[in-house]
Amino acid sequence: MIGRELGQRDGYRVVELYIGPQHPASGHMRLVVYLDGDIIVRVDPDIGYVHRTMEKLSEIREYVRVISLIERMTIIDSCNITLPFVEAVEKLLGIEAPPRAKYLRTILCEINRISSHLYGLGIGGIFLNHSTMFMWGFGDREVFVHLASLLTGARLTHTYNIFGGVRRDLPQGFKDEFLKAKRYMLRKLKDYDKMFFNNPVIRGRLENVGVLPKDKAIAYGITGPNLRASGVRYDARLLGYAAYSELDFEPVVGKYGDGLERVWVRLREIEMSLDLIEQALKQLPDGPIFHERYAKMVPPAMKKWFEKGRVKLPGGYVRLRPRKGEIFSRGEMGHGEVTYYLVSDGGMMPYRLRIVTPSARNAIMFSILPPGNTLMDLPAIYGSMDYFPPEADR
Amino acid sequence: MTNKEERDNHRPSINPVLAHLEAIATGIKWLTRKPMTLMYPDMEEKKPEYFRGFIIFNYNKCIGCSLCAQICPPRAIHMYRVPGDKRIRPGYDAGRCIHCGLCTDICPTDALDVSPVHDEVFEQIGSMDFDPVEWHIISKKLVEEHAKRKRKLVITRVDEEVGLRYEPVE
Repeated sequence: MIGRELGQRDGYRVVELYIGPQHPASGHMRLVVYLDGDIIVRVDPDIGYVHRTMEKLSEIREYVRVISLIERMTIIDSCNITLPFVEAVEKLLGIEAPPRAKYLRTILCEINRISSHLYGLGIGGIFLNHSTMFMWGFGDREVFVHLASLLTGARLTHTYNIFGGVRRDLPQGFKDEFLKAKRYMLRKLKDYDKMFFNNPVIRGRLENVGVLPKDKAIAYGITGPNLRASGVRYDARLLGYAAYSELDFEPVVGKYGDGLERVWVRLREIEMSLDLIEQALKQLPDGPIFHERYAKMVPPAMKKWFEKGRVKLPGGYVRLRPRKGEIFSRGEMGHGEVTYYLVSDGGMMPYRLRIVTPSARNAIMFSILPPGNTLMDLPAIYGSMDYFPPEADR
Repeated sequence: MTNKEERDNHRPSINPVLAHLEAIATGIKWLTRKPMTLMYPDMEEKKPEYFRGFIIFNYNKCIGCSLCAQICPPRAIHMYRVPGDKRIRPGYDAGRCIHCGLCTDICPTDALDVSPVHDEVFEQIGSMDFDPVEWHIISKKLVEEHAKRKRKLVITRVDEEVGLRYEPVE
């Protein structure tokens, strides 16, 4: 942290304080904080330190190669971020994934959402010096990373959704492993409440800190759990993409809009996701996991892999040519709503791919929440927001 | 799922003393349980089926169609001319590989396959770039060495009490 005195403002001395970009609590971004004594008068978030030109890079890659590029925006939530893109391209190709593939996508999306929330809670815990929450969050996340690796064969960068379906079928014994994980997690969430949510120290640090009223949350376009914590019932999953239209769920909506409420929404959304996965596993239909237009183009000698639950791609899959057109699609990630605007000129690569990620929309919260609070509250507000810099910078 | 009434008063006021004691008691409860840590260099996890590690290449099955080089997202696979061979063959830069496994999915003859080898160490950057013949040799060597490893092999299972446990494999 570097500070310098700015001079007088309304008779008070104002100090300019730089937090980041190397600061452990604000890694990958910088906060320029203006202080009057201990009270924050203004915060300028300075983002863009991990900008990797994802939109431009996707214009020089074939569609199938874009999938594994864009999942690197949010490596902890890689199924949720690729799904809207894959569905958009599927619409332009004029195909729809088989029902079983849609359910499998939903299952992986919810597993990703749980691990993303646990990651956010763990980081939020260590911002408040609550090391136990950090250890628990990252430890329990490992259970869901293990489930994802059983399903897809990779721990984080799954590349699971492809145009026309998914790459792997549900492995044997997955359901039992998941039910065990569900029982473990539901029991552990009660301990989370005792250790973190109802802990007087955490209550003191987060209650009535960084309050985001409902009208402000809507006006600034905040998204995801942060929006729902302010009492707005909005969840992109209600639009019913993948298999969400066939599952029964009600988004978790908070009331108070403060830091503690944002933590509460994440904790309850973990419960909801566990419930959704169980429903999806129960209703999982039989059938193919890959669209037959491509499945029948696979060489006959490779058809054996489909019976073993693994998809083989046909040779023409690299040179997919979606029809000319523009398409908009959205999906709910762990951090909020991601939107894609895809322009296709009928070629092998996207003409333009505009991505708006939830963290980019939530970055404005750094400017509107801290003023009026003390400097001590800044890490608490940051931790409760679940902000992910590589995703915001793309 | 919590119902609506529960949500409306989801934040009950707490007794500071009792809540502190409860948090400490919860900590002590978990202190007595087994940790879920995998003691990695001494123990090795048996990876699930189709785990995507080092890509292994069988030169004899390859037909030189170059689909793997076309689909590779980070361009880790390039096609090479091998002396004495009419067809072009794939070479592999392990340093660029992101282990997405798309090349193994598109290979029409199973010449490429995924392997559970994920922790091979190369001492120099240059030694990670293989031409087709080198790739065939290193693939064979890595798979053979991996099968002969003398570390304790464990399999990961989800446990209802502590999250994850590791069962030894015979």
